[in-house]
Amino acid sequence: MADWQRMDAADARASDTSSVSVEGLSKAYGQDATLRALDDFTLEFPAGQCTVLLGPSGCGKTTVLRSIAGLITPDSGRITIGASTAFDAASGTFDPPEKRRLGMVFQSYALWPHLSVADNVGYPLSAAGMPKAEIRSRVEAMLDWVGLGGMGGRYVHELSGGQQQRVSLGRAVVGNPRAILFDEPLSNLDARLRERMRIELLGLRQRRPFTSIYVTHDQLEAMTLGDRVVVMRAGRIEQVGTPEDVYKRPRTRFAADFMGIPNLLEGTVRAIQPDGIVVDTVLGPLRTRGWRGGRSVGERCTVALRPTLMTSSPDPQGEAPFGRVIRSVFQGTSTIHMIDVAGTAITLESFSEERHADGAEVSVKPADGAVFALLDD
Amino acid sequence: MSMARPAGAGARAARASLSWDHAVFAMIAAAVAIMVTYPAVLVFLRSISTEDIGSALTLEWLRALFDSSRSREALVNTAIYAAGSSVLAMALGVGMSFLSTRTDIPGARMLGLLAILPILVPPFILVVGWVALADPNAGLINIAASWLMGGRTVAFNINTMFGLIWMTGLFLSPYVYLLVAAGFRNCDPAMEEAARVSGASRLRLLRTVILPLQRPALLAALLLVVIMSAGDFVIPSTVGLKARIYLLPSLIWQNSSTFPPRPGLAAAQSMLLVVIGLICIFFQRRALQRGGRYTLLGGKGAGLTTFPLGRLRYPLAALAFLFALCSSLLPVLSVSMMAFMRFWAPYAMTPENMTLRNFRYVLFEYPKVWPSAQNSLLLAVLGATLCVLLAVVLAWYIIRMRGRFAGLVEYAMVIPLGVPGIALGVGILSLWILVPGGIYGTVWILLLAYVTAHIPVALQFIGSALHRIHNDLEDASRISGRSLLGTLRRINMPLMRPALIGCWLLIYVVILREVSLVILLYNPSTIILSVGLMDIWGSGFYPELAVYSLLLLVLGLVPVVLFGRFAKFTAD
Repeated sequence: MADWQRMDAADARASDTSSVSVEGLSKAYGQDATLRALDDFTLEFPAGQCTVLLGPSGCGKTTVLRSIAGLITPDSGRITIGASTAFDAASGTFDPPEKRRLGMVFQSYALWPHLSVADNVGYPLSAAGMPKAEIRSRVEAMLDWVGLGGMGGRYVHELSGGQQQRVSLGRAVVGNPRAILFDEPLSNLDARLRERMRIELLGLRQRRPFTSIYVTHDQLEAMTLGDRVVVMRAGRIEQVGTPEDVYKRPRTRFAADFMGIPNLLEGTVRAIQPDGIVVDTVLGPLRTRGWRGGRSVGERCTVALRPTLMTSSPDPQGEAPFGRVIRSVFQGTSTIHMIDVAGTAITLESFSEERHADGAEVSVKPADGAVFALLDD
Repeated sequence: MSMARPAGAGARAARASLSWDHAVFAMIAAAVAIMVTYPAVLVFLRSISTEDIGSALTLEWLRALFDSSRSREALVNTAIYAAGSSVLAMALGVGMSFLSTRTDIPGARMLGLLAILPILVPPFILVVGWVALADPNAGLINIAASWLMGGRTVAFNINTMFGLIWMTGLFLSPYVYLLVAAGFRNCDPAMEEAARVSGASRLRLLRTVILPLQRPALLAALLLVVIMSAGDFVIPSTVGLKARIYLLPSLIWQNSSTFPPRPGLAAAQSMLLVVIGLICIFFQRRALQRGGRYTLLGGKGAGLTTFPLGRLRYPLAALAFLFALCSSLLPVLSVSMMAFMRFWAPYAMTPENMTLRNFRYVLFEYPKVWPSAQNSLLLAVLGATLCVLLAVVLAWYIIRMRGRFAGLVEYAMVIPLGVPGIALGVGILSLWILVPGGIYGTVWILLLAYVTAHIPVALQFIGSALHRIHNDLEDASRISGRSLLGTLRRINMPLMRPALIGCWLLIYVVILREVSLVILLYNPSTIILSVGLMDIWGSGFYPELAVYSLLLLVLGLVPVVLFGRFAKFTAD
């Protein structure tokens, strides 16, 4: 049965969207395979969900994505899409990309300049051998869906960046793929357009849930788009969880750093309590929550302080230590204060417009829940 | 399983290693690499063999290279000829490219067009045209000079070393122009503005910034014209032989084809050309690679300093246009005139002597013309098509698959650029003469020679076109469900179409007029138009020669005129 016949019945509910599972994937580059891009990577991508792979460049997130697409052959491991094995190093199974029935949105959009918008979007359908009339109606519906109704006759260079991105999305979705891969699709757009596209993407996914695997280095994108966020580092998984989980409870220094927490303090464990530990730092004894297992009094421990949950004031705040203001920067919705406390720079973000004078002495106090202990790297 | 291949080869190679596509592409690439390499090796082997390859070894031929007085004379002549024509070609090419791109010369665009036009004109037209203009007895220039000065005045005699250098310099100048003009046009305005702001005058800017930036391109152009002039065949073996000025290529031909043949000596002389050519190619590649560091993408030519010519504006324009006309329109016009003359002599320039008889004879009565035209067209069309298709496969293998032998294949592909046509012919002949029942004596050996000689140029064209296509465009097609070949057909071919057409047209035109490559490989049943011209030259009947060479020009121009507007002609 041709692919398009299977797609006939396809509406939002009866789609072919499938789970993807990756087991023990490894890939090395360079002389003597010294550069390990991917190191025994195992992860389940549930059907209909959006999983975001988040990490700095070189962390292996793109390697995972391109391996699933079939654009890279991993050195070892197994990739299963739906019920079929797309890649298995042990048995030598390798489906070329065109056999995997996936959709992909590229960072560069990768729209073909010699084809019209409609032909770009309809390409996966014509590749599957669908009759022309059928393609036309499907493409029209798809263009409506991505908000480009009536623009099928145009050429790519006549479109704005945001419109090009939508064409590229339409092309990825139109063939009713088993999963859609996003390779940093918004990073070529300017900040405002990026925000709009992010919201739009969410809306589209609500109307038609498809399995998406989304690669980005932008934590804000990861937060808003992901049902699940996978923080990656040096070819391995650093932390997996819901966006809220990862944001509120980063496990490691690396994850905390990547989630945008600038204040990482070294300290010594002073006491173990039922709901957390107390750590001595330059800010005095700080009570943390979470990750207290396996710790003992006297151990070194890194704690993170969320900048939005701290207050600074020219007046004393209980026993909070004082520091000297390095700089106070107004940046629109919030104000950033950098304060030197006993030689350590602490960053605070307050949502009032009040600024401190440079060099002023202010007290610095973390609110409840601002502090949490991190695992050692 | 080839999963654990060396990781250095990269992800794409690893992916492709699992497919048949890769194996097929690799085999084709390896076959082409061997095809372009063996002639040079065989020329060497033949030059140290007493008889055909496989016979006893000898140093006799290499010694004869310097012992025979004619050979020594040819060496010296070739050196003078190559040096002279290279200097002239450089002066014309660089001068015209600078004038047309960076100065306020009137008609700059027109000049640029005229400067590259000679590429379309077969060298034979140049030869016949300049014989018509500067033959000591019947050349128009000398008739005019005699009429002006009275008596018998020879203002310009084409049958001299200077005449040879003159024609070759004109013939090669467009190649220099093409290599250099792009550089002049694509300078980074910021670099020039920086120099001007720092207090450099225009001339100082030219001397300290613009020309030094072009040094790699200039060097590459120089080496190219040295190779092309040292290996040039048509001019030395027509006017050159008539003037009894022996050059290596014409001597190789004589040693191979006149009695008693001395193929060993011909091979030794070819060997010498190959060595010179390969050395030049080596340095040319290096210069071009270094040039990569200098050339700037995104330089759009806007804001570049224009050099005002001042009072010299019109005199320089006149001179530039004169030279540009000398290499294309003027010879074409004089050939056309000659084609209508009943016979060709100083006193024959009268209306009563005008006739269409030459056209009738050449086009309808001369028995060889249509069979050879058929052969020529067949070979040019097949050769150009094969070159383009093979180049697509090779470019894909080298650039996209980055296969195991990609580096080697790429390196092998520059060899034919350094091997002059006649030497390539000697090499191909040395192999196929040994294969009974092989392609020797058929049109296929000519086709093989054409493809061998021209595939490097095709690869340059198509490689640079492929480089410009973003990988994602192909990956997106694969993910959308098209196989590799389907993607090549639906995505790459349409995107590269202008380059493919441009490449095809260029190779078609060049094959059609190619003589040196096939002069040793053809036989009476496989005669082609360009070689037929050599026959008629031998008979010395110029008006028929003129018609014949016009036929060659027209056949070459037809597809260019028809399809030229769909094409992109620059390799970069």
